[in-house]
Amino acid sequence: MMIIKETQVGTEFIGKSKRLAESRVLAFSGGRLNASGWPSKNIHTDLEFAKGYGLPTRSVSATQYIAYLVDLMIDLFGEVWLTYGKINLKFIAIVDVEDELVSKAVVASKKLKDSRTEFTLSIWCENQRGDKVAIGTATGLI
Amino acid sequence: MAQSSKQEPFEPFEFHVTPEFNEQYLFAAEDYHPRYLGETDTGPPLVHPGLLLNQSNVTRSPSFSLRGWMAGIHAAEEVEFINPARVGKRFRVTWKVLEEYEKRGRHYTVIEALVVEEDGLEILRRRTHGLLVKKEEG
Repeated sequence: MMIIKETQVGTEFIGKSKRLAESRVLAFSGGRLNASGWPSKNIHTDLEFAKGYGLPTRSVSATQYIAYLVDLMIDLFGEVWLTYGKINLKFIAIVDVEDELVSKAVVASKKLKDSRTEFTLSIWCENQRGDKVAIGTATGLI
Repeated sequence: MAQSSKQEPFEPFEFHVTPEFNEQYLFAAEDYHPRYLGETDTGPPLVHPGLLLNQSNVTRSPSFSLRGWMAGIHAAEEVEFINPARVGKRFRVTWKVLEEYEKRGRHYTVIEALVVEEDGLEILRRRTHGLLVKKEEG
């Protein structure tokens, strides 16, 4: 699954579905595994801590699912995307532990830029109910 | 009134990405792509983007203080990738506050983070719009 010059506007790409199992959330947001007191308590890892800050649930770190979208961009444009890629996102819903997210992208536009084609993609993550939790754009060159 | 993050500069944070530390994030991300585990066409294994993003959150700064009554929640994010990061390297993160504003009674802070490899190679720059929330009393 990669974008090529001939990829048309409107083409949709779907990343791997990821379940935010508690163990994976703790591995991401609990600090280094060999740190004393692991996992550290924060709004991502501890329900009572999260409630203390007025949140109804633990709120999975947005950086955990930004990475899902970054990974999709690397799949679509190759590792070279890490030398110029840009991504803009807004976070519009809380992601809870045990939610299942899938990253998606659709080609919004394409144009010639120097000798290459610049693609602008609408990107988002949605949960198991089909609700979008993060929305934005990314650009890439072919 | 919300705490102003302009009151204190953020001390830089340094971290070393060992293969084991990278693997912690591969597990977290359910992502065992070969590019993160072995040599690639362009060099040693890549550091997983989740690790770089998580380690460059401003909460990593040794001088960051939640002061017991504030927490930050991501509202928006702009990330610019500059160079791939390689496993085995050490990295340094610096932060600066770009802007603070109120919106619908909530206090937002825009913080720019820059991740640089030990030899000076810039890796990524990100701007995080954070919603600061007050810890509920009682």
